[in-house]
Formats: sequence, C-alpha cells, structure tokens
Amino acid sequence: MRGGGQLPARFESPVVPIAEFIVLEFFMRCGATILAMGVLLALGAANAADVPKSSIRFGLTAAVVRENLDLYERWAAYLGRKVDRPVQFVQRRTYREAMEMLETGEHDFAWICSFPYAKYRDSKIFGLMAVPVFEGKPLYRSYIIVHKDRSFRTIGDLEGRVFAYTDPDSNTGYIVPRYMLGDLERNPDSFFRHTFFTYSHTEAIEAVAERVADGAAVDSYVWEYLNRREPRLTAKTKVIQQSETFGFPPLVYRTNMDAELRARMTEVLLTMDKNPEGRALLAELMLDRFITAPSSLYDNVRLNLDRR
Amino acid sequence: MRFLSSLSLAFKLVVVFSLIVASVAAAIGGAMVDRDRQHLREELRGKAFLLTRSVAVTAPEPLLRGDSWTLHKMLRQLTQGPDGAREPTLVTAIILDSEGRVLAHLYPALFPIGLPLLANDSPERPRLQAELAMRDSAVFDGQGFIEGVSPIQASGKNLGLVKVKLSTLELDRKTAEAIVSVLLLSIGIAMTGIVLGSIWSIRTLRPLRTLARSMEELGHGVLHPLPVSRGDEIGQLIVSFNRMADELEEKRKLARELAANEKVIALGRIAAGVAHEVNNPLAGMLNCLSTLRAKSNDPELVSRYLSMIEMGLKRIEALVKDLLVELRVEDAHEVVDHSCLEDVRDLIAAEIDPARIEFTWENRLEPGDTINRPRVQQILLNLLRNSIQAMPNGGHLWCRFWSDQDELVFEIEDTGHGILPEDVARIFDPFFTSRPTGTGLGLWIVLRLVQTMDGRIEVNSMPGQGTLFRIHIPREPKLATRPA
Repeated sequence: MRGGGQLPARFESPVVPIAEFIVLEFFMRCGATILAMGVLLALGAANAADVPKSSIRFGLTAAVVRENLDLYERWAAYLGRKVDRPVQFVQRRTYREAMEMLETGEHDFAWICSFPYAKYRDSKIFGLMAVPVFEGKPLYRSYIIVHKDRSFRTIGDLEGRVFAYTDPDSNTGYIVPRYMLGDLERNPDSFFRHTFFTYSHTEAIEAVAERVADGAAVDSYVWEYLNRREPRLTAKTKVIQQSETFGFPPLVYRTNMDAELRARMTEVLLTMDKNPEGRALLAELMLDRFITAPSSLYDNVRLNLDRR
Repeated sequence: MRFLSSLSLAFKLVVVFSLIVASVAAAIGGAMVDRDRQHLREELRGKAFLLTRSVAVTAPEPLLRGDSWTLHKMLRQLTQGPDGAREPTLVTAIILDSEGRVLAHLYPALFPIGLPLLANDSPERPRLQAELAMRDSAVFDGQGFIEGVSPIQASGKNLGLVKVKLSTLELDRKTAEAIVSVLLLSIGIAMTGIVLGSIWSIRTLRPLRTLARSMEELGHGVLHPLPVSRGDEIGQLIVSFNRMADELEEKRKLARELAANEKVIALGRIAAGVAHEVNNPLAGMLNCLSTLRAKSNDPELVSRYLSMIEMGLKRIEALVKDLLVELRVEDAHEVVDHSCLEDVRDLIAAEIDPARIEFTWENRLEPGDTINRPRVQQILLNLLRNSIQAMPNGGHLWCRFWSDQDELVFEIEDTGHGILPEDVARIFDPFFTSRPTGTGLGLWIVLRLVQTMDGRIEVNSMPGQGTLFRIHIPREPKLATRPA
C-alpha cells in the first residue's frame, strides 16, 4: 500500500511474469516498499574498502500517493544520510514483482503487504524489520467503498455489479472482500458481473469515484491518507463496510543481506520519531512511528489464506 | 415595379452595382467558408481515425487480460487535449467486446461495464452488428458528429471494437460564425457602396438634374443658358442643350413675329372687308341722294329712296355692332359655373315663337364644370340665332351640353335648310353670308372665340334637313393657366 509515486500505469507493460514468483506472492499484499539501508557503515573499517558504496534499493509497491514522489525522495535522502549509503526507492507495479526483486537480491528491503508477508514469513527469504504505527496502532483494515451517490449498504448489495480489486496479492484489496463474500456463502468468482485489478489502491478509489466500478475494497490507510491530504477522489466515495483489523503492511529485509546494514537500517527506522526531520517525514506519511512487532501480528492475515 | 422605376437613375445604378459587388463578395466568402469547413471536417475525420486506431492498436493485451481499468484509462487519456485541457471535440469513446458488450466507456455510470451497449431490439443494433464484423477501420459522418470505428484484432480475429465520436458542433459553430462574418461584410460592402456611390453619383449627375429642370422650364418658355463647367459627356450635353435652347428661342421669336404679321394681315383683311361692305351701301345711298336732289318733288320717289338709304345705314350699323361685339368678347375673361348658361336659354326662349319652333334644352354638365361666361354665351347665342333664322317655316332646335374628363361639349342642332356642301368650307370666313341681311361675321366670331379657348368645331349639315354644330372646349383650368 504505501509506496512512493507510481509510474503511470498506462505506459507500463501490464503483463506480469507469473510462474516463477509463486514464492514471492506473500509480499505483494502490502504494497509499500522500502529502501535499502546503508551497508557500508555497519561493516568494520577493515571491510570498508572491500565493499563498494553502491546504492541500496528499497522496493515499494501499490503506492499511496502517486503525486508525492517528492516525499519519497526526501525520505530516501534521509535514510541514505543515516546509513551513509545512497538509498533508492524503486516502484514496482505489482506486489508479485516486488517480491521477486527481493528474492533475487535486486532489492535489499521492501515495504510489502501483510498478505505476502503472512503467506511467506516461514520461507526464510525475508525477515520482519519494522511495522508502521498508524493512528496509534500497527493495524489497518479493508474498506468496502462505493460511489457516494449509490445506495449500497454492504458488499452483499453489490451482486451482479462491477467490482475493482487492487492486486491479486493484496490483503485488503482482494483477499478480504472475497472472504467477506465467502462468509455470506456466496461464490466470489460469480458474485460480481465483472471484476478487474487496478494494481493501486488509489486507482481503485478512482475507479469507484468515476463509476467505472460500482464498488472496491481498499486499504484503510490509503483511503484515510487521501481523504485528509487530497480529498478530491475520496469525496466522491463512501465507506460502507469495514473489515476487522490486520497487522499493518510491514517493512522487511532480505534474509541473506549484510547484517550490519540491516541492523543500521532497522535502527534508523525505529528511531525516526526521535529525530525532528524523521518526525516531519512521518507526519507527512501520516504515520506515528515504526516499531518492532512479533510476526504473530499477522496471524489473522494468515487465517485469510485458508478462508479465501 | 412602378416604385422602382420612379427611383432616381443615379440611385438605382449605385444600388445595383453595390448589390452585385456584395453578392460576388458573399459568393467568394461563402466558397471559402465552405472550403474551410471541408478542410476542418477532413482534419476531424483524420483525428477520429487516429484516435480510434491508437486505442485499437494497444487494446488487445488489456482486453485479453480483462483489464477494464487499463482500457478505461486509455479512453480517459483521449479526453486530454494538447494543452492538458479537456479535448473539446470528444463526445464519447467506447470499447466493446465481440458481442457488443461494454468493456470500457467514457461515461461508465451511463454505460456500465459488462452490459450490452444496445438492447437486442434497438434499431441501431444491425448497424452495430455490421461494425463488429468490420475488418478495417472506418470513419462515419453523423448528424453533429464524426465517428471513428476500429476493430481490435489479435491473430486476425476480431476481439472487439473501438468507437470514438468527435463532435462537429464546434466546427459547425465556427462555420456559422464565418457565414455571419461574410454576410455582415457583404452587407457592409453593399451599404458602403450605396452610400459612397450615391454621394459620387449625386455629385456627378447634379448637372443632369439641372439640365432636366431647365428643359422643363424651357417647356414653359423660361430659358436659362446653363454654365458649362466640364468637358465630359455631360458637358457636351449641356452645350447641345444651350444651343437647342437658343435655336428654340429664335424660333419662338420668329413665330411671335409671324403671328404679329398675321394679325396685321388679318386686320388688313377685315379693314378691306369692312371698307367693301360699307362701300356697297354707300354707293347706293349716294345714288339715291343725287336722284332725290334732282327729283325732290316726287313724293313717292322720295319716300322710296329714303327707305333705301335707311336700309343701307342699318346695314352699316349692324356691321359695326358685330365688330364691336367681337372686340369686346374676344378679350373677356370671366370663368364661372355653367349655370350662367340658363340666361342664354331664357334669352332664346323669348326670341322664338313656341308655336313654330320646338326648343329642347339638355344641360348635362356636372356641378363644378366651369366656363368662360362671355365667350361661351356669345358662341351659343350666335349659333342659336343662326339656327332660328335657318328655320323660317318652323322646326326643332336642340341644345345639348355635356362634359367628360378632358373637355366640355356644346351641341346645337336644327332642322333648318342646311348648308350647301360647297359653302361649308367658307361659312367661317368673315363677311360670308347666305342671307341678304347678314353681316357674315356671326360664325367668324364663333370660330375666333373657340380658337381663343383652344377648342374645335365640328359641322355636320345636310341641305334641306338641318345642321349640327358641335364645339369641344378643353376644361377651364387649362384655359386659366394659359398666358393671356
């Protein structure tokens, strides 16, 4: 979900290589990515000369704010100064793609979705680095939204309508609405007349605002963020249903990366709220701070795996 | 037409030429507007084609993937005009699947995804069906729009259809504006042409109007030579006019002199006639006197000769009286209503013996018909007395008067002895008479009086059966305007 500016989707090849990335699927849900951390400093002086000061790549997915590239650049610069290595946020269209980059080692860090995390947390490919705190808790939920002029009251009213999913690996944008239908004892594959993926929570909101879709399921953090920062889109929508809460999309590190850099990046993230500049960035991201959390935070996401 | 033909030539020429120029301007302007319109329409057709093709070319992949959101964004992108403003001509854009169901629509709220664009019984359905089967892109002209239609193809198979509709309203509005401009311009040209042309032609033709006025005045006998201030055709015309006016004046002078001469001659003839008429009785009377002087003691002869002398003197008296009447009446001028003719009736009625002569008076003149009383009365009295004398054994005498639009008609008819055919040509000569006691001046006076009023006389006579005089006199107003 959160992520920096997104490439204009229409110019991008929409075809995603699928087969090879099954392993990575769990990441996708989160959407946000992160950056890499500085590695160099963590190494001892003796090693310093041996390690090239290459940039750290931090994967981001389905972005919060496509218009806010500037914020992510400043955040990357902040992280880069703290870990003494250039940090680069890399936007990926799909969660799957971001997960693959993490696995191949192209990305050192990523801000992923809760669902890929829960799905693949036992695979040892990556580890939980930090969890954002949003409105006091490291939690978020799925919003079922419809156009503000429509009279639907629950997702059950949307039968035979057009529904916009975010990403097949999105917890709040795909898994949750489907299990909601399952709870209603309806088959999510035939419940709607037509469904499509927008690969971005913002665009899912847009699809509802423009009435391309009758309803959509979106990340509560993204909807609230836009509603406060730029209510143009959200003003045309309304939230008719909210899911239970889930662990907020986490920031993860690649398991086989340099330990020093990992530790340093973790430290920088966890202490961002102690630093005036870091606090300002957090405020812009509408987050309180980053914390550590046990992976059990995502247990109920894991449950969705079985319910979907 | 009458109104048109009465307009000034100067104005008509200017109007006609200005209208011709304005019409040509309007025609050229119209042709240019039309050409522009064709050109713009062609451009719009090209645009519709390109937009439709651009979507159709990139659509297969998202279409196969069922990615309605990408398809929608492709259509939405079409709405973005060159400067980031909304493309003004785009009416709508649609992507349909091969069954005619909506995959993306610029107005998704009205045309939801997944539903057929048209109902099965829609009258446009056959056309859509044909479009879905099209293998190539095409552009159609519609009422107020131009529509590009392009199949979405992959592997030679029709996956769907893109339709992009561009509005021609802006084009039509521009065309209408241009037409209005051309019309206003043409009207402006016409108005300016008429105003400037009128000023120019009024200035140019002013001498012609002066000339026309002078000619009219010339008709009334007033002559002003015109100043010659130019050398063109009009100047030559003025020179000719002046020459003509001079010659006319010469002629008039000549005519006046001739008339004066004629008067002198006529007077001479009258004088000679008078001398002759007086001389005849004089000679007889002188003879009588010398006989009387020689035989004054013959009472019978004295009495006979005295009465002969008396007769001669009376004849001279009558002659003088008639001449005086003529002189008096000829210059008299008193225009009054025709009721004064009743005096003539009373006078004549008193002179005839009703037992012998039947007198019929029919005055059908209208109220308001006016006459020159002294002249007309004298004419009628002379003619009536002639008629009475022509009927010594009685008969019928008619007086009939009437009028029409142009003239008054006086008709006197009798059943008297009539006029011999060989005499008819001479009856108006002075001193011609068929009566021993007549002076021969009565009809001569009638003729002169009728001529002074621009009238004419008809005579119709059969010896032994009667005579009819009919006199036509133009209406008085004309007489009144004649110079005395």
